[in-house]
Amino acid sequence: MTERSSAEHVVVVDLGYGDAGKGTVVDRLCARGPYAAVVRFNGGAQAAHNVVTTDGRHHTFAQFGSGTLTPGVTTHLSRFMLVDPLALAAEAGHLTALGARDALDRLTVDRDAPLTTPYHRAANRARATAVAHGSCGMGIGETAAYALASDEAPRVGDCHSPARLRRRLTLLRDHLFDELGPLGVPGVEECAEAFGAFGERVRITGEGFLPGLLRAGPVVFEGAQGVLLDERFGFHPYTTWSTTTFANALTLLGEAGAEARRLGVLRAYQTRHGPGPFVTEDPLLDRPERHNRRGRWQGAFRVGHLDAVALRYALEVCGGADALAVTHLDVPAPLLCHAYDLGARITPAADLTGQALLTDRLMSARPRYVATGEDPAGAIEDALGVPVTLRSYGPTAADKTTGDRARTAGAVAV
Amino acid sequence: MGSGTWSTNVYDAAARYRAATGASAFAYSDGGATSTHDDLDPFGVTVRESRDSDEHPESLALAVLFDVTGSMGNVPRTLQSKLPGLLGLLMRKGYVENPQILFGAVGDATCDRAPLQVGQFESDNRMDDHLGRILLEGGGGGQMRESYELAMYFMARHTAMDCLDKRGRRGYLFMIGDELAYPKVKKREIAKIIGGEPAEDIALESLIAELKRKFDVYFIIPEGAYHSGDDRLPEFWRTHLGQNVIRLDDLDAVCETIALTVGLAEDAVDLDEGLSHLREFGSDAGTSVSRALAPLSSGRGAVTISAAPTGLDPADTEVTRL
Repeated sequence: MTERSSAEHVVVVDLGYGDAGKGTVVDRLCARGPYAAVVRFNGGAQAAHNVVTTDGRHHTFAQFGSGTLTPGVTTHLSRFMLVDPLALAAEAGHLTALGARDALDRLTVDRDAPLTTPYHRAANRARATAVAHGSCGMGIGETAAYALASDEAPRVGDCHSPARLRRRLTLLRDHLFDELGPLGVPGVEECAEAFGAFGERVRITGEGFLPGLLRAGPVVFEGAQGVLLDERFGFHPYTTWSTTTFANALTLLGEAGAEARRLGVLRAYQTRHGPGPFVTEDPLLDRPERHNRRGRWQGAFRVGHLDAVALRYALEVCGGADALAVTHLDVPAPLLCHAYDLGARITPAADLTGQALLTDRLMSARPRYVATGEDPAGAIEDALGVPVTLRSYGPTAADKTTGDRARTAGAVAV
Repeated sequence: MGSGTWSTNVYDAAARYRAATGASAFAYSDGGATSTHDDLDPFGVTVRESRDSDEHPESLALAVLFDVTGSMGNVPRTLQSKLPGLLGLLMRKGYVENPQILFGAVGDATCDRAPLQVGQFESDNRMDDHLGRILLEGGGGGQMRESYELAMYFMARHTAMDCLDKRGRRGYLFMIGDELAYPKVKKREIAKIIGGEPAEDIALESLIAELKRKFDVYFIIPEGAYHSGDDRLPEFWRTHLGQNVIRLDDLDAVCETIALTVGLAEDAVDLDEGLSHLREFGSDAGTSVSRALAPLSSGRGAVTISAAPTGLDPADTEVTRL
């Protein structure tokens, strides 16, 4: 017991705009490490963390922890997660088909987590046609906004209280209809029935659960999206309705009196889904993209060179990282941006208005490049001042090496 | 990021959750087992414990033991598939905040291979595993008696519960069956099946008095078992348990009946309110439950709670509860 809990918990966040490879990193940690549980602490069903196993199975993790393909690894959806029981059912179905038949048995969900419903989703899509700053069309923003605004927001625990669930679903639907006009959505009864079935099937937990889980052994906290999309520190308004830094995970750990190592994940080149500042974008930089496509609600998938300026900003706003995991080292960007032509450092502003001004400046900023060189992980380490402890050269856990620079210097694709 | 990789169809989701049940409720019996599963073997067990934890403070112990002998017909199989719903039902309406449930089974010590099977008190789905491991023996003798006394001996002497030790609140014990107990617990049966040996046989009456200090004890007589209609059955159990004898005409309502009985006893609901909860859950068990529980709640108007909640005095159990 003492030995097991002496291993550290680890929080994994994406230092960019998402898509850096958190899934593959979490899969590697669970497949080869001591971690027996994954905790989700932000975002919701919009996440798309791709994992390919060494025997060729592929799953896009949205709500289940990306360690689920390792037998016995459990997932806990904390109260900071926006839970979508409908998408969860389909995801569980695919995991079952891949051999993880007990995926639902290995899942626990905090009763205070807000529920994402078809009503949120429909409202999200109705609005997204008017506004264009990058949305997944899954109702994540709607869910977060309504949960902040209303004491009657449906929550996971309501799935055990049919009357309250129906009342809250009705209030939500009527609220959105009042605002947006009638939306094509399933009835309250149908929704309540599906959510009730979810409540019957999945283990719903209270506040003592997570501290117990953290005492039982080392846990991976799996972040969604990326620090540069953070609702407060991202480049407003091209942000997400979610805290994408280490903050939520640290809150949960703090409540349990626990600590964790902070692992930042980035690709060896830069990507962004949808509109917003992207100083190092280079449409001519052709990189194979296995899993990301143009999304109807998100816009194009964009690629560019390494952007040390944006990454340093990300590290600053999330309080720094203890280590880095760099993915896609088999196809690193040839160039690394070490400065913009703005003549000043970019730093977080005092409020969202300030952030929007920052965004404006970034829209016209031009990158100053150096060559990435023969050792891209080393170049990143030097540019960011944080050690790279995990290097990925391909999609599976076997394509990754760990260790410090000295030991892995000269490591080639495994 | 991504954009809705997984289908959000409301009908598909409901169907998937309903279909995605765990292993068969009867896996152990259907697997051809012929003896008590190790996890449920009472032999050598010092105590089965119901303890508070950080996750489940102020735990409340609840034990359900059912007769698995031949006279019960298909009843045990129905119970084995229904009882996993009990925990959720208790918690959903807040009848009990932190229930810890133990499942067990009663056979006949005079002739069965599995005369007593006892799981552990659990706060989560592990109790379902115990339930699934109960061997449905289908044996029993022909004398309208099974070894309930042996089960009661175990519950009286081989359990330890924080609800009682720390808070002076008794646990709940439900026995479900269609026969009488033997008039004595025989010391040699205890030695053989549970281990340890008292100096002499114990008379049923004094054993039940001892048991009532630890548990609020109920006997449920389900419709559809061989002796269900025999009047000697309720008479026998009423002699020992007073009004805590429940006739259940719809076995499908077993969880609702137990949950509501506990809810009434815990003063968490009155019968009308409880029945309206059942309607809310979409349960059509209301009529049966109402009939089953009417004797427990009728004619007493407002709720009366025994002044001493400790239940340490056996005489307590004779006063009108609720």
